[in-house]
Amino acid sequence: MNRLTSARTRMPRHSSPWLRSLLFHRLLALVVATIAMSGATLFAHDMWIEPTTFAPDAGEIVGVRLRVGQDLLGDPIPRDPALLRQFIVDDSEGRKPVVGRDGLDPAGYVRASVPGLLVVGYHSHPSSVELAAEKFNQYLKDEGLDSVAALRAARGQSGAAAREMFTRCAKSLLLSGPVGGGQRDHTLGFTLELVAERNPYALAAGQDLPVRLTYEGRPLAGALVVAMNQSNPSERQAVRSDKDGRAKFRISGSGMWLIKAVHMIEAPSGSKADWASYWASLTFALDAPARQRKAS
Amino acid sequence: MSAGRRALVGLAVIGCAIAPRGSADAHEIGTTRVAVSFAQPGRYDIEIVTDAAALAEKIETVAGRPRSMGSTPATLSDTRFAALDTVFRERVRLEFDGAAAHPAISYAIARPADALSPPIATIHLRGDVPPGAPQFTWTYAWTFASYALTVRSAGTAVSTQWLDGGQTSAPFPIAAPPAPTGGIRTAWRYLALGFTHIVPYGFDHVLFVLSLFLLSGRLRTVLWQVSAFTVAHSITLGLSIYGLIAVPPSIVEPLIAVSIAYVAIENLFLRELRPWRVALVFAFGLLHGMGFAGALKELGLPPSEFLTALVTFNNPKKLVSKILRVSASLVSSAAPIKP
Repeated sequence: MNRLTSARTRMPRHSSPWLRSLLFHRLLALVVATIAMSGATLFAHDMWIEPTTFAPDAGEIVGVRLRVGQDLLGDPIPRDPALLRQFIVDDSEGRKPVVGRDGLDPAGYVRASVPGLLVVGYHSHPSSVELAAEKFNQYLKDEGLDSVAALRAARGQSGAAAREMFTRCAKSLLLSGPVGGGQRDHTLGFTLELVAERNPYALAAGQDLPVRLTYEGRPLAGALVVAMNQSNPSERQAVRSDKDGRAKFRISGSGMWLIKAVHMIEAPSGSKADWASYWASLTFALDAPARQRKAS
Repeated sequence: MSAGRRALVGLAVIGCAIAPRGSADAHEIGTTRVAVSFAQPGRYDIEIVTDAAALAEKIETVAGRPRSMGSTPATLSDTRFAALDTVFRERVRLEFDGAAAHPAISYAIARPADALSPPIATIHLRGDVPPGAPQFTWTYAWTFASYALTVRSAGTAVSTQWLDGGQTSAPFPIAAPPAPTGGIRTAWRYLALGFTHIVPYGFDHVLFVLSLFLLSGRLRTVLWQVSAFTVAHSITLGLSIYGLIAVPPSIVEPLIAVSIAYVAIENLFLRELRPWRVALVFAFGLLHGMGFAGALKELGLPPSEFLTALVTFNNPKKLVSKILRVSASLVSSAAPIKP
């Protein structure tokens, strides 16, 4: 903590606006990280796919790592056969299962057998969680699930604990070889799914990336869709999806990007939960730094 | 990490994954695991095994350092972690009766076996247990996933709690100082447990062995059947304990009941030992071995002491079998029950 304290006390002495700005961003990042880590006891953690490289060479084997965490600070999740519903890769040759050994990280492996875009997807079975009222309400607020919060308030349930079943629907886009014309993201048929409507690796400077959010194959309107970059996750872009389920983001930085959305519905009657949530994520990396290009 | 070690970590994760979860808050299970040991008298040794790159990213971010955008194994070193020791300590808390302990911490980073595997950090927290401290609690806030905290004191079974990152464990009792020889103590413990399992809880096995005896009091007859039973159940007991076979109790237990009924009824019609009877007892013995395996697992078998526990747990069964045979022999010689 001494280091952090001295950094803060030194800051006002610098007169350079550039340095001040740099230190301010550092401080902001630190605050965000501190909040993120102090929230380790909380509940609403993102889940995403972070491959060992986003830009595999032809024939290269890529480790498909599953990560759970916040602000792109994550922990590895090993392959758990009890949770795995679909773990697939879609390339120009078709759809194949992502192989792997149970209990190990990376959770799976794919081979970039043909040049082009590889769409990797992980769809889990639901897991159950029970949350105290305060935690659940904060989580609804953080994820923009206003309609659920309103429903709970209307029913006088805002002070009640909630039982939830959550399902992960994570996707990642990898590019092997050069950018080509026919490369595009595919719909994998996940319950909640984010689909990039343009190849993020083919974006020109200043071009936005439109994504489409679907629930059970139909466009989902009004959901909070958030995009963040690994180099500065605190600067997040949050957009509500329009009537066609679309949201657009300015993808300006290099490194790994995460786009995510959460959808919640009432749990089916007869289940042991009150609510069922679905967590969609989409990752890709632009101008990949060392790690994305090669794991080591 | 060597292939063997990697497989061990994998097995541990799978083992953890299938173990019953104590908490209602169920996040995904990560690869972190924490093992607390009080094997050395008056000392504690806590081992944290975790993904080194993921931990380094979190510590460095909290420390206000620029995000390294992923750490390659080459840049991860023991000294890099040691330099961040102060920050690491902020989110790790060990308390003996509410008073925070200040352990000595060492960091070791294992190079991955291949480019796709993660580098693994093994962190040890060591120190003296405050004299007379009856319990301790543990908090580890460097993970977002769930992890298993196992506590092992000499002389007690391994106990496990499932925790989320940042969650404080329920208090763990600290056992009395261990006996000087762990092996003998384990042997004695499982010998005693074998007895207590057989006599009050293993009535089904008692009945089966009794039924074997009641066919005939001839030593040869008893010897053939008991030998077949012992060999058979040792096979399935060993296979089940090492996880090579797994048959649910819902199948095994009813079949054990059938085996007892069958042997008992057959005794009424059979006058002398036939070869197929020995084969049948062997088959039933296989079932009983699986039943025993379930009981042995419930006792919290330490993996490093499988063999000691297996042999000594089995011995009471043989001992009890002998006691039963002598008792039944005395009863049957006084009042013959066969027509």
